[in-house]
Order: sequence, then structure tokens, then C-alpha cells
Amino acid sequence: MKCRRCKVPAEVALPSHNTAFCRDCFLVYFSRQVENAVRRHAMFTRKDRVLVALSGGKDSLSLMLQLSDLGFDVTGLHVDLGIPKSSESARAKVEGFCADRGLKLQVKELAAEGLAIPLVKAAVHRPVCSICGKIKRHFFNKVALEGGFTALATGHNLDDEVARLFANTLRWDQGYLGDQGPCLPDESGFARKVKPLYRLSEFETAAFAFLRGIEHHKDACPYSPGASFTGHKRLWNDLEWKSPGSKVSFYEGFLERGRPAFAAQERESGFTLTPCAKCGSPTSQELCGVCRVRLAVEAFGKG
Amino acid sequence: MITVRMEPGGEVKTFAQLNTVQQLLNRLGLRHTEALVIRGGRLLTQDLKLESDDALTVRVVVSAG
Repeated sequence: MKCRRCKVPAEVALPSHNTAFCRDCFLVYFSRQVENAVRRHAMFTRKDRVLVALSGGKDSLSLMLQLSDLGFDVTGLHVDLGIPKSSESARAKVEGFCADRGLKLQVKELAAEGLAIPLVKAAVHRPVCSICGKIKRHFFNKVALEGGFTALATGHNLDDEVARLFANTLRWDQGYLGDQGPCLPDESGFARKVKPLYRLSEFETAAFAFLRGIEHHKDACPYSPGASFTGHKRLWNDLEWKSPGSKVSFYEGFLERGRPAFAAQERESGFTLTPCAKCGSPTSQELCGVCRVRLAVEAFGKG
Repeated sequence: MITVRMEPGGEVKTFAQLNTVQQLLNRLGLRHTEALVIRGGRLLTQDLKLESDDALTVRVVVSAG
């Protein structure tokens, strides 16, 4: 198999694009996909300070490196979940990655907030993945706003976005469907949220991470087996295999023709957000979700 | 004998007879967009031939997040 651009032996075959690239040409392709996404959705410019959420996985570290290479002002934020072994390993990868490349990094420890995930899991009798996501998003937003960052970037890739859109569609969740996309504006107490990898597949970010020598955290979260997203990704991989390009078509079609309709409905009948009575974060209830989790953990601690 | 180290997990598998990367992926039940096949610092496309003493890494890319 030859590289489409320079005809040397290819290293990365991309059936969704009916093409293959050598190492150097793939890195050019990857860089252009990110740069085009940032420009097309006006995510941020080189004048913005961008906070990049770093889990230690291939996607977030690849995003950080690519944005840095493109000359954007990036700072990493790692939320240490406090899960024995798993969190220590992920944090070590993030710290090593940033130190080796001279990239700025902040770390937020959930244990110091009284919200280490094992404790939350024991205290709250709901699926821990959704609570963990809620807590992480809470601190991403808080650190971004308090630190004066003008955009919060996450490493969500095409597979993540399609799986999430699929899950929201299965439930016809109007609120989430009106609010999903690669660039959400800063409003109502939320920092601007951007996903510059949204057109790149998990395979492509994995190839980028390998070709750029990124040592990333590879083990699955010990609490994630059975997560519905994994099953949805498998379904979509089956569909993409039979019909290459389905993922991009589904997602881009939604952005163009689906989201505006759901967003309009949501503006008419959706919740009004007000500051949380305890921490000030935007919420549709008196207390935000994280403060409610905090209360549950405190009650659990008192026995 | 072809030796394959699986990631994540680190399980090591051996195969007596495999001619191509595609055959390896078929034996592992993977599609070529679901895993990186790595040999000596390079990624292998599915059409490439394997040598009888190859030491490979297969990195499954589907994450749970």
C-alpha cells in the first residue's frame, strides 16, 4: 500500500477517506484536520489562552501536542480522580508528557476536594461513570473560569462524539441534542468548550500518538467495564466498516440539520440556569450536581 | 514463530503460520481500523507480509470513554 501523496510505503490506511498515508504525510493530514476544525468553528485564535483537559489517554495528549505545535497558547489540566493505581499511572503519564515537552500543567486532586471517585462510588448509588464525568466537567469549567482561560478544549474524537450523539438520539434527549457540538459558546457561567479532534477517529489519534512518540495511559478505567458508550462504539464500528464515512456523515448532518431544530426547541422549553446556592456553578436546581454529590458523600461519611 | 504482545493488558500470543497483517487481524477478531499493528517502531498496513520470526505489538484503540 502506497502513500497517496508521496507514493512511499504507507503506514496508516484510512478506509473512511479511501486513502493511505506514510508517516510524514499522515502527520500533515492530522495537523490540517485539527487546524481546519479550529478555524471552521471559530473555536479560538492564537490570542486565546486555551485550557486543555488531559486525562493521560492518547486523545487528550495528542490534542495538547498538536495545538502546541500549531502555536496556540495551551495549558494542560489533569484531574486526579484518586482511583488506586489507575489514577497514579494516568497522572504520571500526564506529568511526564508535559515535563518532557516543556508544556504548562495544572493538577486538580479530587481527594483534596473530598470527592475521590472510590468514595463517591461508595456513597452514591448511581452509575459512577456519569457522576465522574459530571465532577470532571465541573472542575474543568471552574479552573477555566477562575484562571481566565478563554476556551476549554477536550480530546473528544469522532468516535466519542458519534457514540454520544447516538446515545442522546436513542433517548431523544432534546436538551442534550440541542447542546452537542464541537464548539459551545461561553455563556450562563460556562467557559467556551471546544473539541478540535471531532473529525478524527480513535484510530487516527492512536496512530498520531504512536508516530509522535507519546507515552500515554492505555489501561481502561477499572470502573468502566460495561459502560454503554463502549457498546455504542462497537455498533458504529460495524456500520462504518460496511459503509465507510457513516460516522462523519451522521455527525456533520446532525450539526447542519438536526442541532438547530433541537436548540430552537430547547430555547423555548428548556431549563433556566441559575448559580448554585453553594458554589455558584450554573444549575437548573438550587444546588448543582457536584454539591449534591458532596452532600451525599458527607452523609455517607457520618454513617 | 510470530510473537504478538497485546495492548492494553500485555497478553502475549504466538502464531505458527501467518502470512499477512490481515491474517493476523482476522485471527484476533479485529478490523484494521480497530488496532495499530506495530513492528520495530513502524505501523503496518493490513496488506503487508509478516516474517516467521516477527515480534509485533497489537494496540487496540477503542477506548471506554
